[in-house]
Amino acid sequence: MSETAAQPQVETHTPKELVRQPLVLNNRPLGWITEQVAGIVEGKMPRWWNVAFTISFLVMMMCFTYIGYLILTGVGVWGLNHPVAWGWAIVNFVFWIGIGHAGTLISAILFLLRQKWRTSINRTAEAMTIFAVICAGIFPGIHVGRIWLAWWLLPLPNANSIWPQFRSPLLWDVFAVSTYFTVSLLFWYMGLIPDLATIRDRLRKNADKCTTGCEKLINKVKQYLYGIFSMGWIGSNRHWRNYEKAYLLLAGLSTPLVLSVHSIVSFDFAVSQLPGWHTTIFPPYFVAGAVFSGFGMVLTLMIPMRALFKLEEIITVRHLELMCKVIMATGTIVGYAYGMEFFIAWYGGNPYELYAFKNRAFGPYWWAYWIMISCNVISPQLFWFKWSRTTPWFIFVVSIFVNIGMWFERFVIVVTSLHRDYLPSSWGYYSPTQVDILTFVGTFGLFMVLFLLFVRYLPSICIFEVKGVTPQADPHAKEGGADKVEGGVH
Amino acid sequence: MSKPFAIMAEYETPAEIMAAAKKVHGEGYQKWDVHSPFPIHGMDDVMGLDNAKVGWFTFFGGLTGFVTGMVMIYFMNKFDYDVVVGGKPLFSGFYAFPVAYEMTILLGAFGSLGGMFILNRLPRHHHPLLANARFADVTDDKFYVVIECEDERYDENLTRTLLEGTGAQHIEMVEDAQ
Amino acid sequence: MSEAVTTTTQESEETANWRSIPQIAVVIGLVLCIYGLVQDKQQFAFSYLTAFMFCLSLGLGSLFLVLVHHLFDAGWSSPIRRYCEHLACLLFPWLGLAFIPIGFLGPEYIYPWMRIEDPHADHALHVKMALFNKPVWYAASVILFLLWGWLTHRLRYWSLQQDKSGTPDFEGKLLFPEHLMVGFYRKFQGLPYEKDQQQVVCTRMMRIHSAYGILLFAFTLTLGAILWMKSIQHQFFSTMYGVYYFAGSLWMSISVAWIIGRILKAKNIIPQLHTLQFYNLGTMLLAFTVFYAYIHFSQYFLIWNAAVPEETFWYVLREKGSWAYVSWALIIGHFLIPFLALLRIDVKLTNRVMVPIFVWVLLMHYMDMYFNVMPEIHETGPSPALADLGSLLLLGGALIWVFMRNLFSHPVILMKDPRMGEALERH
Repeated sequence: MSETAAQPQVETHTPKELVRQPLVLNNRPLGWITEQVAGIVEGKMPRWWNVAFTISFLVMMMCFTYIGYLILTGVGVWGLNHPVAWGWAIVNFVFWIGIGHAGTLISAILFLLRQKWRTSINRTAEAMTIFAVICAGIFPGIHVGRIWLAWWLLPLPNANSIWPQFRSPLLWDVFAVSTYFTVSLLFWYMGLIPDLATIRDRLRKNADKCTTGCEKLINKVKQYLYGIFSMGWIGSNRHWRNYEKAYLLLAGLSTPLVLSVHSIVSFDFAVSQLPGWHTTIFPPYFVAGAVFSGFGMVLTLMIPMRALFKLEEIITVRHLELMCKVIMATGTIVGYAYGMEFFIAWYGGNPYELYAFKNRAFGPYWWAYWIMISCNVISPQLFWFKWSRTTPWFIFVVSIFVNIGMWFERFVIVVTSLHRDYLPSSWGYYSPTQVDILTFVGTFGLFMVLFLLFVRYLPSICIFEVKGVTPQADPHAKEGGADKVEGGVH
Repeated sequence: MSKPFAIMAEYETPAEIMAAAKKVHGEGYQKWDVHSPFPIHGMDDVMGLDNAKVGWFTFFGGLTGFVTGMVMIYFMNKFDYDVVVGGKPLFSGFYAFPVAYEMTILLGAFGSLGGMFILNRLPRHHHPLLANARFADVTDDKFYVVIECEDERYDENLTRTLLEGTGAQHIEMVEDAQ
Repeated sequence: MSEAVTTTTQESEETANWRSIPQIAVVIGLVLCIYGLVQDKQQFAFSYLTAFMFCLSLGLGSLFLVLVHHLFDAGWSSPIRRYCEHLACLLFPWLGLAFIPIGFLGPEYIYPWMRIEDPHADHALHVKMALFNKPVWYAASVILFLLWGWLTHRLRYWSLQQDKSGTPDFEGKLLFPEHLMVGFYRKFQGLPYEKDQQQVVCTRMMRIHSAYGILLFAFTLTLGAILWMKSIQHQFFSTMYGVYYFAGSLWMSISVAWIIGRILKAKNIIPQLHTLQFYNLGTMLLAFTVFYAYIHFSQYFLIWNAAVPEETFWYVLREKGSWAYVSWALIIGHFLIPFLALLRIDVKLTNRVMVPIFVWVLLMHYMDMYFNVMPEIHETGPSPALADLGSLLLLGGALIWVFMRNLFSHPVILMKDPRMGEALERH
C-alpha cells in the first residue's frame, strides 16, 4: 500500500443490505450441483413429463397435417388476399425468430458483459433459441407456395443459369436465418461438451449399479452416445485454455450476429417505401423487441421448469428478478421506438405516413394496436415494483402478456400497413382462416416437443459454468493454502 | 500390453491444485497438465501457458467468409444474371453487405470451433485417462495433476515425492492399455 | 476515516500547472472566435455549433456512463465514476452557457426554418409548426438544460454526500420532488428507508435518479439532437437520429473516460484504477465502435434502399463534391480503423495504441458532427475555417478548466461506495 500512502483511505465496506445474493443458494458443494442437474437426465421422467409430451406431440402432428394440406392444396387455404398478401406466415416467422434472440443475448452478450448470473439460464435459453429458429424456419419455407422450388433461394447452379437476386431482403433472410441457426447450434454444442463428459463419466461410475441385462445394455448405449458427443473431453487445463478462448470468440461473433439477424428481418419491411414499414429506427427497434419477447419466453419456460425439477437453488429468485429488469428495459426501448415512429410520422410531414399511424391506433385494427401497447409498453412497467419482480407466478403471468404483445406487434406492423393501400378501392380487412390459426398453434407443439426432449436427454443447466461461479471455485479462497499463490492478472 | 502412462495426483479444492501446479511448474516439467471440472481462473499463468491461438482461426475464417460473400454476389449479379432491380446498380457493396456479413460470421464461427478442436487435438476417445476409474470424478468435483512418464524430468520416485509434498490426497499411476 | 473525509483536494503543484494549458487554449480560442465572428458571421455560427454539439456529446455520454453504472449495479466502474460525474455536470450550467451564442446567432445565421417568412407556405415547416417556432424552440432548449442540470447535479450531490456519510459533515437533504420519489420507493420496493443508514440512503437516491433518469436521458437527448442539429435541414426526418447522436456521443465519452483514467493513474492521483477498468473501458470502446457503425449503416442503408426523395436529399448533399471523401472517411475512419485496432485483447491496456486511438476518436467524432452541420453552408465540400479551431479551443479549453477545478475540489474517488470493494479486489 506504499503507493497509496499519500492518498486518503477508501472505505470498501459494503452494508449488509447491499451485499449481493449468491448465485447458488445455501453454499452447496460442487458435487451437489452435478447431482442436481445430471440427476434429471439419468432419472425416470415424472408423470407430468409424459402427459406434456403426449399433448405436445399431438399438437405438433396437427401442425404437420395442416402443412401437408397446404402443400397439397396451395396457399389459397390461408386468409391472404389483395391487399394483404403477407399475413400470419410472416407474422409467425418474425415472432418465432424474435423469441430466439433472448437465448443468444443471454449466452453471448451477457457473457461479454461478465454477467455471471447467466450461467444458470444460458443452456435452456440457447436450446430455446434453436427450437424457436426451427419453428420460424417453417413459415418462409411453406409460404413460397411451390415448396419444391424453395431451393431456388440458395445460390445453386441450375439449368436456366438463373442466380438469386441479392438485392432482395428476403434473400438476406435466407443467409441470416441459416447462419443464425448454425452458429447458435455450434455455440450450444460447444457449451455442452464438458457437461456431456460429466454424464458420460457418471454413466461409467453407475455401470456397476445396473442389475438386469437390459439396464446394462441401456447404460452401454448411453455411454457410447454421450461419449461420442463429448469428444473425449478430459477437463485438461490446456484444453480449457483454448476452449475458453473459442467460447469468447463465439460469443463475440454471436453478438453482432444476433443484432444483424433481426435487423435483416426488419429490412424485409424497412427497405420498402410503404408507410408504416419504411422507417430508419426499425433495425435496433426490432432487436430490442426480439430480446424482449425472448426473455418473455425464457421466463414462461423457466418458471415452471425450476419448480417442477426443484431447481430453485440454482435458478434463484435473483435470476428471475434480473430477467424481469431486462424485460422492463427492452420493453421501454420498444416503447421509445413506438413513440419515435409516431413522432416522426407527424414531424416528417408525409400525409400517407401519418395516416398509416393514425389508422393503426384508431382504424379497424385498433384492438390489435392497443393489445400491443398494453402488453409491450405498459405491462413491463409493473416490474418497477420489487414484489412484481420477485413473485414467480406473477412474473409468469406478465411473461405470457409479453409473448402475446410481441406477436401482436408483428401483426400490427404487417397487416395494418398493408390493409389500406393508397387507393380506397384497394382497401380490405384481413382475417385468418382456420388453417392459419391451427398451423401457428401447432408450431407450439413442435417447440414443446423439442424442448421436452431437451430437458429429458441433455443437462438443462450448464453444470461446469455454475460450478465456476460458486465461492468454492475461487482458487484464492481463504482456506486451503491459498496464501501460497499469488493472484494472477488476467 | 499396458505400460505406465503418467502419475496422477488428486486434490479436493482449486486452491490446493493451484499451489500444486505452481510447484510442478517451478520444477520445470513440460508434459504435464491440470484437470478440473471447470476452468480455474488464473491457472494459465501458474502453468506458464501463453495466449491461446484460436483467434487466428476465427480471423481467417471470417475473412474467407467476407471475401466469398462479396465475390459470389459480384459475379452472380454483375455478370451471370445481370438484371436491374429497383434502380440499384448491378453491384454495390451496400446491398451485398448483409449477405457477406453473415458469411463472415458463419465461417468465423466454424473457424473458432474447428480451431479449438484442432489445437486441443480433439476428438480423442481413447485417452489413457478415460480408462482410469478414479479419474471419472474430474467432471464432477475433483482436481488432478497428471505428469506424463515421457517428460524428461520424470522420475518415478522424485516425481511421486514432489506430488506427495503438495498435499495430494491420493496418488496413483495411470496405465496405457495398448 | 475522518482524515479521508476532510481531505478535499489531492491537487499537487504539477496538476495545478496543468490548468494553464486550458487557460491558454481559451485565450487563443477567444481571439480566433472574435476574428471569425468579424470575418464571416455565418461561418462562425456553424463552426461554433459544430464545436458545441461535439462538447455536448461528452456531457451526455458521461451522464449515460453514470446512469448505467447505477442501473447495472456495477462494481468495476466505481473508481471512474467520480470523474464521470464531473464530466456530466459540465452540462449545467457550463454547456448551457455555451449554448447562449447559438441562441443569439441561430435565427439569423444557422437555422433556415427560422428565417422563412410564411411558415405555412413551406410544407415541411407547416406540419411541425407546433414544435418549430421560436418560442417553443427557446423554451425547449432552456428546459433541456434545466433537466440535465437537475439530474447531473443531484447524482453528484448524493455521490459526494456518500463520501461524508457517517460523519457530522453529512448534510444529505432531500430537495422537493425527491421526497415523493423516496415515498414511492419506500412504499413499493418493500425495503426499509432508515435515516441512520446514510451510506445506503445515498446509494438509493442515486439509483432512484438513475431509474427515471435513463428515460429522461433518452427523450432529452433525442430532442436536443433534433432541435439543434437535425433542424438545420428541417425537411429531413429519420427515426434513428436520436440513437445516432447517442451512439457517437457515448463512443467519444468512453474514449475520454479511458484517457482521463490513464492520466490520473499515471500521476498517482487515483492509484485505485487497475487493469479491470482500462480493459473494460477499452472493450466498451470497441463495442460502441461497432454499435455506431451499425446505427449509421442502418440509417444510410434504409434511406439508400428505399430511395424516397424526401430523405435521400440529405445524403445526396453529403455525397456531392468533396463531401464524398468525408463520407468515405467516416466509414473507414469512424469504423474500420478503430475496429481493427481494438480487436486484440492486449491493446486495450497499451498506451502506444490507445493514445493515438483516443486522438483519432475525437477527430472522427468531430468530423461526424461536421458532416451533420456544415453541408448546409458549404455545398461543394468541407472548407475548414479558423473559427472551427477557435470554437473548439474556446469551448474545449473552458470545459477542461472547469472539469479540473471540479475534480480537485472534491475527493477524486468515491470514498464510501458500497461497490468499491469489488473494484479494488479484482484487478
